[in-house]
Amino acid sequence: MAHTHNHSTKIDFTFPAGAKSLLLGGIALGVICLALTFFMFDDALHTRFWTNYLHNTVFFTGIAFMSLFIYCAFTTAYAGWHTVMKRVWESYSQFLIVGLILMLPLVAGVFLHWHHLYHWTDTSLMDPANPEYDHILAGKSGFLNKYWYGFGTVIILGVYVLFANRLRSLSIKEDENGTSDWSYHQKMRNWAAAFLPIAGFTSAALIWQWVMSIDAHWYSTMFAWYATASWGCAAFALTILTLIYLKSLGYFENMTDEHLHDLGKYLFAFSIFWTYLWFSQFMLIWYSNNGEETTYFYTRVHQYPVLWYANLAVNFLLPFFVLMRNSTKRKYGTLVFTSILVLIGHWWDYFMMIKPGALHTAHEALGHGHHGDHAEGHHDAAAHGADHAADHGAEALTHVANNTEDIAHAVEHASTFEAGFTLPGLLELGTMLGFLSLFLYVALNQLTKAKLEPQKDPYYEESLHHHV
Amino acid sequence: MVTDSKEVFYGLYDDEEDLLVAVQRAKNAHLDIMDVYTPFPVHGLDPILGLSESRLHIAGFVYGATGTLTAFLFMTWVFTRDWPIIFGGKPYWSVPAFIPITFELTVLFAAIGMVVSFYTVCGLAPGVENPILDDRITDDKFCIAFQTNGFSSSEMNNLKGFFKSTGASKVSTKVI
Repeated sequence: MAHTHNHSTKIDFTFPAGAKSLLLGGIALGVICLALTFFMFDDALHTRFWTNYLHNTVFFTGIAFMSLFIYCAFTTAYAGWHTVMKRVWESYSQFLIVGLILMLPLVAGVFLHWHHLYHWTDTSLMDPANPEYDHILAGKSGFLNKYWYGFGTVIILGVYVLFANRLRSLSIKEDENGTSDWSYHQKMRNWAAAFLPIAGFTSAALIWQWVMSIDAHWYSTMFAWYATASWGCAAFALTILTLIYLKSLGYFENMTDEHLHDLGKYLFAFSIFWTYLWFSQFMLIWYSNNGEETTYFYTRVHQYPVLWYANLAVNFLLPFFVLMRNSTKRKYGTLVFTSILVLIGHWWDYFMMIKPGALHTAHEALGHGHHGDHAEGHHDAAAHGADHAADHGAEALTHVANNTEDIAHAVEHASTFEAGFTLPGLLELGTMLGFLSLFLYVALNQLTKAKLEPQKDPYYEESLHHHV
Repeated sequence: MVTDSKEVFYGLYDDEEDLLVAVQRAKNAHLDIMDVYTPFPVHGLDPILGLSESRLHIAGFVYGATGTLTAFLFMTWVFTRDWPIIFGGKPYWSVPAFIPITFELTVLFAAIGMVVSFYTVCGLAPGVENPILDDRITDDKFCIAFQTNGFSSSEMNNLKGFFKSTGASKVSTKVI
């Protein structure tokens, strides 16, 4: 059979000037949207700004993390099919250092009370002498505290950055002076295998801290898996889009429909895996009907129905039915269509993990002490009631509202549509495009720094002959 | 029952690359291949032979969808019409509780349906004896077979020449 592989393929990537300016424009758009959110369309606590910032930082850092994880899993599993395009995942994983830097303001915010995303940052609630003493938060304070948040984020992400850099530099060194003793690959395999258990345990801790602790009273043992699977789907979708873009520029000639077919299968499979986790988490809580657990879903199903049902439609029904057939995984049109929607769909999924809880926390903080609007401000307190048995009204008069206008605003909108929370608004989309541009800018810039295809990798030849 | 016996003239190759080249040459020479037998799936063979994609997966989808509907509609009927029971304060028609069983029946129907279809299409069943040209086809040899009922000696010589020129390691005739 005639295998026609082009060994003199274009392997030196140059960042197209047009793409560069487009991405820089996207970054500027993101900065403008964040600034507009902060200065013009926000409450006194800047909840919308901080949730948007957290949402996008977590989402794109997660994509970088999952790219590194997938890369390490494939390396450990002696996989060879992906070798021709593995530099894309290497370059994605280089975004982790940017993610670490982007997390620093959030960490500083927890220490300096710049934001009130997390209910547990109010340590006065953990003082038994406080009439509002919250025994649940007090019980979790060993993990939900600023030191765990700060040092956990910096150290764990720091370790990820270390692994990403180590694997990347070994891979590039292999290009320069790799020989057939495969010593570089052996070292990469050791680093990759070491990363898997570290990633498995620590990513859960990060997700609990960053996302799940927004709903500080609530917890789910499925949550870390579910959130990681969401990152995984997004990572595969973005990989497919980047590869098809690079192919359209004439790169990756050796990356054929066969490779795209496998990436499509991964997108399909991860979407089903995500659905499995999403549903398992929902059904166990729905079935056991335990008040402190169901409040999470009660809020989302009843107050955010569009987010809730569209999430399932876009992230499960769409990839399931579109990517089920063989041929749709081999056509650019269907792959691009599905990947774009799934990427937005999982961004949307994170939106729903973060926004309702943060809005609730903001309502509580802002509505706190505003006696007259107490009932309305805590309209969803029924679901939350078990944990808030302490009567807010009793000590309300002792607190002085420092910004009556904002409080009135927050309370008035408590049970109705709230831009940027009930649905992503234009500012959210602009911020998302900004972060996406930053991510792609970093990734494409990294691609210029090494050969696009690792031609000295022991599995390179196997990858060229990949056949589904 | 009358069975038409087939005269089969076949050649064995030692390597799948030789086989692929030979099949391509047979196609180019418009030789009418009856079938090709290999001990494992050979990548790239189907397109050369001009085989169309299997439709088994379409059947699988239909079986799976049948399972989905069967499970879901049956549970709906049982719990809303036939024998409504309240479980844990949930409504009679509790869709989330139906999902796991619906999923299981989808998988079960698809799996059993596809196995039965596959066996039927291939003429396989317990106790069925299938003629085999050469035992080593199931081990390490790759076989191209031609049906030669009523072939003239010049046609046979043509096939012999084909096997010789493409490097078949063994050539033989068998009536099956």
